[in-house]
Amino acid sequence: MPVVEMVDVSLRRGRQQVLENWDLSIDSGEVVVLSGENGCGKSSVIEACSGLLPLESGSTTISKQLIRDSEGRRGRVAFGLCLQEDCLMGDEIVEERLLDVAECSFDTTSLLKKWKLDHRSKDRVAMLSGGQRRKLAVISGVLPALLSSKPMAVLLDEPDSGLDDESVKMLATLLTDLAAGGHSILVASHNQEIHSIANRVVNFPFSIEKLNPPIGKFEPITGGKQIQRMVGHRINLRTMSLFANNGIAGLLVLGGMLALLEPSTLDAKMRAGFILAPALALGLCGDPLFRLLQENRAHAWWNASKGMTPNSLLHILISAGLLTLLASAAINYYDWKLIAAGALFGFLTATIISWISHATLRLARPNALMLRLLTPIIILPWALIVDTLAV
Amino acid sequence: MQRKAELLTMAGLIGSGATLWLGLTWAPSVAIDAFEAPIAQKIFYWHVPSAWAAMLAFLFLFIGSTAWFFKGKDWGWRLHVASSEAGLATGLMAVWSGCIWGAAEWGVPWDWTDIRLNTFAILTLLALFLVLGRRTQPDGVETRDTFATFGMYGFVLVPITYIATRFWQIRHPGPVVATNEGSLNSDMGLVLALGAISFTMLVTGHILSGMKLTKLELRFEELQKEYEERF
Repeated sequence: MPVVEMVDVSLRRGRQQVLENWDLSIDSGEVVVLSGENGCGKSSVIEACSGLLPLESGSTTISKQLIRDSEGRRGRVAFGLCLQEDCLMGDEIVEERLLDVAECSFDTTSLLKKWKLDHRSKDRVAMLSGGQRRKLAVISGVLPALLSSKPMAVLLDEPDSGLDDESVKMLATLLTDLAAGGHSILVASHNQEIHSIANRVVNFPFSIEKLNPPIGKFEPITGGKQIQRMVGHRINLRTMSLFANNGIAGLLVLGGMLALLEPSTLDAKMRAGFILAPALALGLCGDPLFRLLQENRAHAWWNASKGMTPNSLLHILISAGLLTLLASAAINYYDWKLIAAGALFGFLTATIISWISHATLRLARPNALMLRLLTPIIILPWALIVDTLAV
Repeated sequence: MQRKAELLTMAGLIGSGATLWLGLTWAPSVAIDAFEAPIAQKIFYWHVPSAWAAMLAFLFLFIGSTAWFFKGKDWGWRLHVASSEAGLATGLMAVWSGCIWGAAEWGVPWDWTDIRLNTFAILTLLALFLVLGRRTQPDGVETRDTFATFGMYGFVLVPITYIATRFWQIRHPGPVVATNEGSLNSDMGLVLALGAISFTMLVTGHILSGMKLTKLELRFEELQKEYEERF
């Protein structure tokens, strides 16, 4: 029974046609290795399979659930994923990362011990060495399958890069064990150790080699109760990035206005503008977590695996409300409508900015874009709200 | 007929120059009590046709973006590139002339609560974003898809800008042609019509030339790649 299916897939990256009418099917318990020169399209297959890349034709399905097709339809199902980049945010804690991936409680210590990372379980990812980060990315990629007794897809893009020989051997054994548990593994690799455990090696450009891999033994990790992980909330509190980015912008605007304007002389319109301006500045900075998610392409992993990226929009709503309240207190004029409008406006502004920022993530150089050029789109609704609420 | 686009651009340029000259020297002035600054009103012969041309460019931008995004048509991408440049040029002409007129007529060059002014400025900024942003990215399907998406969403502002003065007239004057509220003096209408035709020719010629230029740029890139592969 195929767990992973790519049917008639055509894919273009940059100005290159990477795949044309390509088919791939991976049965339950099968390990397929993609091999070939750099730039031949191995990563594109993994990313297309996980739904990260738009398709020119065809569709990809995992566990009979559509992941993406050329019409833009998308679906979501649980699978393991490790991309070529580690896709880890520097401010994540090692142990928390595993719990975020698993979405249930389980014995993280013994798993980390196997990979010689147990002494790092409470450390931030930024403190790890390159090899340790890679190990954590690989564990994150295989963890959903380790916790599942039902066949699941695992997509790994060069998981062995940066790992020492012993870890590569461990990875090969682990993949053999996962296959024995019925999981389907698609892995891009140049490493002969990984090649030796494959049922099929697909050499780019397209010759297929069939092998007889060793048979492993699968024992799933027992998961505890399901837990709702508020990743964005947690990382935002840890890094204080909302205060450092958005909060400071709002406070500076408030401070600047207090230095230049005499509160007692403000007319109704100016007063409403004064109270709502800090929320506008706060919102215009966008979601502070977006910047953190750009580290190592973390957003790509979250998008593909969880269907959405962590965000701190709830914190923005609260902060915008508090900042508007502070602005009201500064001129001793309290109007609950203005305070609610400030909170909502800050939240909506940050959401729009965040949406615009996410829309540029497919670009080769998203940071080179001058996205601030589009922010005046927010000024008009802000000015209209000020006009409406000025009494 | 190889130089059709260039000839059209040239004719448009001459026509728009003539419009400006006729508007400033020949067209009759409005009644002295009709505007706060009746002399400044003459900038209208430049302001209205350039705004019209910008709207045309944004319409072409939408068509090009849609053709690329949904059908993957190369001409769609070329139209997107050329019309965003034309939209930026004509949009800036309209915004700049509007600010001058506004400063004389209203005493302020800008009103942040006027919907027509702001939606039009946002369209021009969108064109600036597309033109500058494209230069920062290598050409490829990801770049084209992303910018085409912005081109399509941006078009939402065109009908809002168009109807803005009909539904929410704040500072910007309402329509002066094809309305029931009287019509323009015939000489004024003539100069305005000349302006509209000239700017239409100018923007169409500019877009056609731009499309040709983009085609040549893409061909040049391909040849460079072929050269690198061969040697």
